[in-house]
Amino acid sequence: MALVLYHGEPNGPSLTVLAALFETGHDAELRNIDLTMGERHQDNVPSGVEVHMSIEGEGPVLVADGEPMADSVFIACYLNDSASISPIAPQDPFARWQMMTWCRQIIERVAPAAAYLGVKAHLADKLSALDDAAFEKLIAPIKSEDLKTRWADIRAGAFDDAKVDDSKAKIKAAVDKVETQLSDGRDWLLGDFSIADLETYAWLAGMRDLEPGAFDGASRTAGWLDRVKARPSVSRALSLARTATPQDIWAPGPEINRWG
Amino acid sequence: MSDVTLYHWEPNANSGKPMLALMEKGVDFNSHYVDLLNFDQHKPDYLAINPEGTIPAMTHGDRVLTESTAMMEYVDAAFPGPKLMPDDPKDQWRIRWWMKFMDQWLAPSFSMIGWSVFIGPMVRSKDPDMLKAAIDRIPLPERRVAWRKAIYGTFGEEEMKESQRRVAFGIRMLEEELSKREWLASDQYSLADVNGFNIAYALPLSQPELSNDEKTPHILEWLRKIYERPAAKKTWAMGKTDLATRIKILERS
Ligand SMILES: N[C@@H](CCC(=O)N[C@@H](CS)C(=O)NCC(=O)O)C(=O)O
Repeated sequence: MALVLYHGEPNGPSLTVLAALFETGHDAELRNIDLTMGERHQDNVPSGVEVHMSIEGEGPVLVADGEPMADSVFIACYLNDSASISPIAPQDPFARWQMMTWCRQIIERVAPAAAYLGVKAHLADKLSALDDAAFEKLIAPIKSEDLKTRWADIRAGAFDDAKVDDSKAKIKAAVDKVETQLSDGRDWLLGDFSIADLETYAWLAGMRDLEPGAFDGASRTAGWLDRVKARPSVSRALSLARTATPQDIWAPGPEINRWG
Repeated sequence: MSDVTLYHWEPNANSGKPMLALMEKGVDFNSHYVDLLNFDQHKPDYLAINPEGTIPAMTHGDRVLTESTAMMEYVDAAFPGPKLMPDDPKDQWRIRWWMKFMDQWLAPSFSMIGWSVFIGPMVRSKDPDMLKAAIDRIPLPERRVAWRKAIYGTFGEEEMKESQRRVAFGIRMLEEELSKREWLASDQYSLADVNGFNIAYALPLSQPELSNDEKTPHILEWLRKIYERPAAKKTWAMGKTDLATRIKILERS
């Protein structure tokens, strides 16, 4: 199995996939790209419909035996299921359902909220500093119209107050959920360490500085964040950072639910 | 009596996904019809099963499962019968990618259109005070907003236009995918096909300009092949409204 991983700074979906790669012990060639400057859309990164139209927005791309793959949770499942043992996902159908359902709720509710708050704080100014020609060049190759619109809205600083408030509420709800989940004293969200821990950590880690209030009094969550961060796979992923604070690096993420 | 109970509405969208998956596996299950148009999904009896007040939900012994796509993966893995997931992990990845794309990008656009032309008009004529109380009881704020728009006909022009754009684009994507291989995301019939059929079975009726034998021959052939499966026949026979009878459009002439 020949693997090449195009990843951004170890935060959000890039962090999930890097850590999953190290947890599962596959060999892969790592290529660091700047997702915040749209490098995923350049010709040197292999792509296909699943990369162009990924729900995740600007996530990493794993090229496995020539096929470009996107969506961090499913890439992590792939890495797990093609390893000789099953290190980060349970085999039991019900435990697997719990993990997939947990991750689905993170993708649907937490990831869009974290990405919205993250790009507002850390990407908007950087994009508005680009001149029109440079920005046009950045978004020209983007095939998904709605993703392109998200880029343009971020550059224009077009953030909606209701969405900001809703995003903050979603982060708070996520922390509450994690805190409740850990209330029986368990170390990991679903009992054994799994992709659910990686995915939840990857979207929440950067929220500690941005939404500190959401973490007030959540002592079990604080302990869990520390435990995830201390895993060899996660610290190895973090060691690949090219910036001092990778948790502050955000590219456009999944869109905020427009239906319900 | 089976230890599996499925709480579902019509064989359509999220409800139809586990219905068809259970039928394909040959799992005997108790059917519990939840009337979405009567707001049964927000009543205490059902909220005791799924506090989010959305359909479907499934119980297997004392386990309670929600989230139709993850539920289908459970059905496939937990019961004997034909495999609806290929063994190859890369095929599994592709199947999950397409299911998520449909669940979170394409189906919501179909739903927005469907709710504005079908669901809204069907319930609008009910007693206004009853409707208001029904909306107030909805647990998820997002669902409350959607119901309000459907009942009072207040979907915005922009969002409807965007949904139309996505439906047109999504149909082209499906046609392209199905021209590469026989089934949606792998070389064998899988959960991606079960999922896709549930949002697309009425396409030639609901989007005749965009999906027809000339423009999307591969989609039509794919839909007809699934329609001809005994499991699909049994599943759609469980429908109680005109929504389900739309499937007859797939009858070969
Ligand atoms: N993600 C959930 C969504 C379930 C869902 O929203 N179902 C719709 C019907 S397709 C529903 O229950 N609508 C009724 C309502 O909102 O009151 C799943 O896949 O099961």
